[in-house]
Amino acid sequence: MMRQLKLPFYLAFQYIRRGRKWTLLLTIFLMTVAFINLVFIPSLFNGIIDGANKQIINTMTGDIYITPPDGVDYIKPRDQVLQRVKNIDGVEAVSSKTLVPARLKQGNISGSWQTLAINPNNEKNVSNISQKIISGSYLNAQDTDQIIIGRQIAGGSDVEENALSFKGAKVGEKVNLVFDGMTKEFTIKGIFNTNFVESDKRAFITEKALNKIVPSTSNRTNTINIKISQNANEDKVIESIKQSGIIGNVYPWQESTGLMKSVSNSFASINVLLSFTSVMIAAVTILIIIYVTIINKRKEIGILRAIGIKPYIIISSYVILSAVYALAGIVIGTAVFVFVLIPYFQIHPFVLPICNAILVLDWQNFALRAQTILIVSIAAGFIPAVIVTRAKMLSAILGR
Amino acid sequence: MEMTKDYILKTENISKIYHSGGVDFKALDDVSINVEAGEFIMITGRNGSGKSTLLHQLALLDSPNNGEIVVEGQKTSHLHEKVKMDLRLSQLGYIFQEYALIAELTALENVMLPAMMLTSSKLAKKKAIELLTKIGLESKYKRLPSELSGGEQQKVAIARALINDPTIIFADEPTANLDTIASKDVLEIFKLLNEKEGITIVMITHEPEELVYASRIIQLSDGKLI
Repeated sequence: MMRQLKLPFYLAFQYIRRGRKWTLLLTIFLMTVAFINLVFIPSLFNGIIDGANKQIINTMTGDIYITPPDGVDYIKPRDQVLQRVKNIDGVEAVSSKTLVPARLKQGNISGSWQTLAINPNNEKNVSNISQKIISGSYLNAQDTDQIIIGRQIAGGSDVEENALSFKGAKVGEKVNLVFDGMTKEFTIKGIFNTNFVESDKRAFITEKALNKIVPSTSNRTNTINIKISQNANEDKVIESIKQSGIIGNVYPWQESTGLMKSVSNSFASINVLLSFTSVMIAAVTILIIIYVTIINKRKEIGILRAIGIKPYIIISSYVILSAVYALAGIVIGTAVFVFVLIPYFQIHPFVLPICNAILVLDWQNFALRAQTILIVSIAAGFIPAVIVTRAKMLSAILGR
Repeated sequence: MEMTKDYILKTENISKIYHSGGVDFKALDDVSINVEAGEFIMITGRNGSGKSTLLHQLALLDSPNNGEIVVEGQKTSHLHEKVKMDLRLSQLGYIFQEYALIAELTALENVMLPAMMLTSSKLAKKKAIELLTKIGLESKYKRLPSELSGGEQQKVAIARALINDPTIIFADEPTANLDTIASKDVLEIFKLLNEKEGITIVMITHEPEELVYASRIIQLSDGKLI
């Protein structure tokens, strides 16, 4: 029995070794394409969701954020709270953002874009706005007359929301912050582009500038954004913040995803649907490839039966052959994906209004899809092999 | 198991009917033959006389609609296909007209294959080399079927049929695609196997000059024995 078990491997090996090389290469190529097709779309969607999430974390909320207790406008005393949070285990950096109660105006154009007061040095450690300056420069903590504005506020012909912007504001130009009964002129020091529309509809001045205009905001803030260490556990840090006696509401970044939450959910749903379609396409492709291969071997299968080779050996040899095709497709597909496609899209990402999407591989999902291809291939080898071995032997041999 | 004495192979009133396009065609009509061990039987007849159909039934590659085939005393009409397969593997050797070798296997591997079902690959290889040497293919056993002539491929098919020491060899017009010299080579091998090793041979031929090799000739016409 043991020696009979070796026979399917022996036959499959010889089919691969001595079969037509072009047929083998074409089969493996199609398997590779089927596998890449199966993992590409989910990876792209993962990339979009992951990219959008990172945009929220890196440009807006940090990993964790604290808001004032319900019914209260400010967290205070700001500097002491910041210091206390900073001392919590797992916290890497903290920054506060205070909403400037003013409208932004340039000439006759004004808008209710969000203007926030920050400590540029703290903010630099929590968000990546400072690295996204496309014109001019980032704020300095001592700046009192300078403002940085997002690309969607500055506007320009290539800007998504140009109609609602300053339509091409440049660094060095003046803008006004219109407070209740008071106007303060600022010079545009920098324009930033995070490639996240929501984030680029904001403007920043320094806390020092705000305190000068509205002294009552001194040592107060509306939001504290927190960046946690790479290995820190988000839930544990949140729990530590809550237990530290800080008065305020503590949230993980996910609580601020807003519109992006439904976008992510929609992508996840589309992903499931497309995955199902991809699996079906891959299954049918593989079934056709292997079915054609086996049907072409109908005569040979008949001969094997005629000389006494048991059907289970013949069937097993084709199942092994199919599994080898699938494994080759998976291995080559993985190599192409990891060493070609992922690096390519890292250099040339898909530019979307919410992020620059790259391909993000979820290895668990990847393994699941590899298993799917393998199982489908085994079934695709098994079913036609069973059909052919059950057909009339003489019909198979004589090609009737 | 009911035993039938004396005959290595026996058919009792076998008939084979093919259904095609709503019409029944009787390929074999009440054929009864007895084959004794060590005979060299040649089946002859015109095209469509039922020669190949008879050989397929005798070699258990197909089943008759009526009648019984007895192989070495064992009735086969109610045998499961698995048992028939075991009989084909260990007791019956079959040689097809068009060689029927596995294209991806060398001459040696083609011959070894049936033996690998019953013994180790090492022993199967040893025996296959012996057989290929015996039929004059010792220098070509690593070649693929596509690298061999028709006569050489048929010799490989003969070696494959012999590998498990069958008691009966069936050959369906084994010389039909061969030239005169290769045909003679093949027939001489059959003669040797029959005379020296006592293997029973049942062979179909169209060639009257080949009939001299037979110890008995069976003639068929319209599915009936003449």
